[in-house]
Amino acid sequence: MKFLEKLLAVDRRIIFLFIAIAVALPLFFVVKLHIEVTPVVRNLHNALEALPPGSKVLVSLDYDPGSMPELQPMAESFFRYCFNRDLKVIIMGLWPNGPIQANVALEVVLKEPEIMKKNLKYGIDYVNLGYTAGNEVVIERMGSDIPVTFPKDYSGNKTEDLPLMKGVMNFNNIDFVYNLSAGYPGTVEWVLFAVDPYKVKLGAGNTAVQAPQIYPYLNSGQLVGLLGGMKGGAEFEIATGYPAKAVRYMFSQSVAHAVICLFILLGNFAYFATRKKKGS
Amino acid sequence: MRKKNLKIFLILTFFCFLILPLSQILAQVDTLPPATPTEVRAGDTPNDNGHSITVTWKLSADDGAGRKDVVAYEILRSESPAGEFVVRGMVPAGNNTYQDRGAKEKEDKNYFPPHHDFYYKVRAKTLKSYSESEVAGPATAYGQWFHIGKLPVFVGTLAFTIMVLTFIGLARKGKELYVRPLAGIDAVDDAIGRATEMGRPILYILGLGTAADIATIASLTILNRIAKKTAEHKTKIIVPCMDPIVMSVAQETVKAGYLDAGRPDMYQEENIFYITSMQFAYVAAVNGIMLREKTATNFYLGKFYAESLILAETGSVAGSIQISGTDEIAQIPFFVAATDFTLIGEELYAASAYLGREPLLLGALKAQDLAKAIVMISLALGAFAASFHLDFFLRLFSVQM
Amino acid sequence: METIGIWIAALLTLGIFSFLYKDNPFYKFCESLFVGVSAGYWFVTTFWQVFMPKLADNLVAGRFYYIIGAIFGVMMLLRLIPKIGWISRWSLALVVGTTAGLYFTRYLVSNGMVQVQYTIISLYVKGNLSQTIGNLVIVIGTFSGLIYFFFSKEHKGAFGGLAKLGIWFLMLSFGASFGYTVMSRMSLLIGRMDFLLGTWLGLIR
Repeated sequence: MKFLEKLLAVDRRIIFLFIAIAVALPLFFVVKLHIEVTPVVRNLHNALEALPPGSKVLVSLDYDPGSMPELQPMAESFFRYCFNRDLKVIIMGLWPNGPIQANVALEVVLKEPEIMKKNLKYGIDYVNLGYTAGNEVVIERMGSDIPVTFPKDYSGNKTEDLPLMKGVMNFNNIDFVYNLSAGYPGTVEWVLFAVDPYKVKLGAGNTAVQAPQIYPYLNSGQLVGLLGGMKGGAEFEIATGYPAKAVRYMFSQSVAHAVICLFILLGNFAYFATRKKKGS
Repeated sequence: MRKKNLKIFLILTFFCFLILPLSQILAQVDTLPPATPTEVRAGDTPNDNGHSITVTWKLSADDGAGRKDVVAYEILRSESPAGEFVVRGMVPAGNNTYQDRGAKEKEDKNYFPPHHDFYYKVRAKTLKSYSESEVAGPATAYGQWFHIGKLPVFVGTLAFTIMVLTFIGLARKGKELYVRPLAGIDAVDDAIGRATEMGRPILYILGLGTAADIATIASLTILNRIAKKTAEHKTKIIVPCMDPIVMSVAQETVKAGYLDAGRPDMYQEENIFYITSMQFAYVAAVNGIMLREKTATNFYLGKFYAESLILAETGSVAGSIQISGTDEIAQIPFFVAATDFTLIGEELYAASAYLGREPLLLGALKAQDLAKAIVMISLALGAFAASFHLDFFLRLFSVQM
Repeated sequence: METIGIWIAALLTLGIFSFLYKDNPFYKFCESLFVGVSAGYWFVTTFWQVFMPKLADNLVAGRFYYIIGAIFGVMMLLRLIPKIGWISRWSLALVVGTTAGLYFTRYLVSNGMVQVQYTIISLYVKGNLSQTIGNLVIVIGTFSGLIYFFFSKEHKGAFGGLAKLGIWFLMLSFGASFGYTVMSRMSLLIGRMDFLLGTWLGLIR
């Protein structure tokens, strides 16, 4: 019983240390875990597979470096998939850092040998329209006029001069929208202002914090698929046949979760056991 | 040996003569056109601004059936039945609808003129051939004044507006509008009393929202009441803010609370201050305040994001009693786990109406309750109808936007 | 240059992490630096990403009506001057009114009517027990959750029982949400550890 009481009163710094080891140690090992692709990710993948080559995909990166570990692998795997399938990518952001994160991801993906073979050109195969202030009003405006909403791209080029943007007036000229979101504005705003009014096909990748809020939109069909947290990112990498960062991190994630579950069980056991003892 | 070789030669020659025509036949089969799409109809797209025509057709018999070689449909348009047809779009096999849309500006290259006759035909395509349907038309696009599909939205908006205005009117007339007691609110007085006994300050966090956010507005109403109580108890209240506008509103709110308590001299403006507008920088500073000031009671009421658990954890380490409330669903679990009392979601708005007793807040709350009651009845009836396949009722809830 | 940046980032990361042990001057320094840099960064971002493209560029291009927005913005800032702070109410009214108008029908449709539409499901699916149980959970959970948030009646008797069922459903969903968030936090920690052990120390590839 003394042990259980000591366990309840354990210094939280000991717990921090255990978590740090549980997270850090697995990073030294390369362990292939079996990752099952869940239906919500499979649906997103299937929707993308149905797009013919040359389709225009709008990618909205609505996050900042604080959410990089979860969302950056999703961005990289999505760009890799699009370039491999000859889909045209139009990048934008509702957060100021979003387009910068996109460039960081593009830097990684465009250096890969298979992608380099494609000899992709900025302005023809992909563009970065940058950030514009206005949150959900930006989405509303894009429903009627994208060139007016983004008169210049991230580098200052006129949007109307970019070959990829010729004929792209509004959501009618976009075949699929993919949103990576860490909060507001994000997936919720895309559903409210793009999906229901303009019948846009939307897929999303969210931080695990936000994912539970987005599930109702999946059930109602407003969202075709969802990547929830790093696990969702890992599933997408598996589905596309290119396991990368997210898959690598899964071992660390699993060990950390196992340690937390152990602490929860121990803590609850100790709590109820000591309470029972005090009661009797 | 010679006979054997001759036999082999004859067999091979026979097969060559057999395979050649077969391959030619197969090649011809490959190039055979698919069955034509039938029942092609073209008409104005309903509920739009008059720059679109919808084309529908019956799938080719070779689409998903028969030879199963149809890969796509092309939709062609002309201004006369015998004129030149141009391709307007393409849909994959299995689809039998296409919306021919264009721009509304005359200067635009893709301008779609309304009130203008167009003729359509649909082309079923395989990898090597195609077949075309009969010409359908004339079809004319025209705009509608009212989007029939949005009728439920219109009715819902009107109904809710009437309910809100009615209840606000009743509240203003002095009618008693009942709001059930909330557990978190009952704890507020005890929490303030605790701070007074311990001689330690109270920390009030308005959250990360702006002055236009409902949660922040609700929190400011509660701050007014708490400020009044702290003035009565002569307890210090610290209100660090993330938004400069919210800070100035908070200063006025706290000042008004001190005035109501009859202690305007005790009001100290420097206790309500701005830190930074960056999320985690703000949290880092607030954590520092909690530990240095050793606050006895922490209130987290408003809009919170990822920092909620960091705040609640630090408050717990500092030994403060914590009362929280937010409408951010993702953060409620943290507050429930790490704070002593939590106002879940709408309870925050109810708390501000309960404490403030303002007609606007009370009226809005009662209207929401009525709307909830309608939703609950609809759910119950709808589930019953769905279980017995009563489609007419289900169609009432079909919403278009 | 990149190496210096990595070292600074690593040391600042460790400085913030040191708070886990206890509050200390190194953490205080990192906290103050973060507050200061973030304020500066926010100012620069607002100037170059909002003020310049949304106001200055439009005025230079001859779209002078954008000055109306600027005037409302200045009116909002007048809140900070107590004597004429009441002027900001006009700006706030514009913001609140526009937001309400923009959001009202969107929320009513996307978060209200469409959700109700897809929650009206059959309570019994012939030959599919798991679907039937799933449907029952969704309908009963939604219904009892709404009962809990009904503020016009005290939670007593059968109504109170349903409200209690509602709070159980809510707590279960909060637990699931909590689990998801723990995963998120662990993911962020993994990212930082990868940076420290991989990018900074080069111990992992």
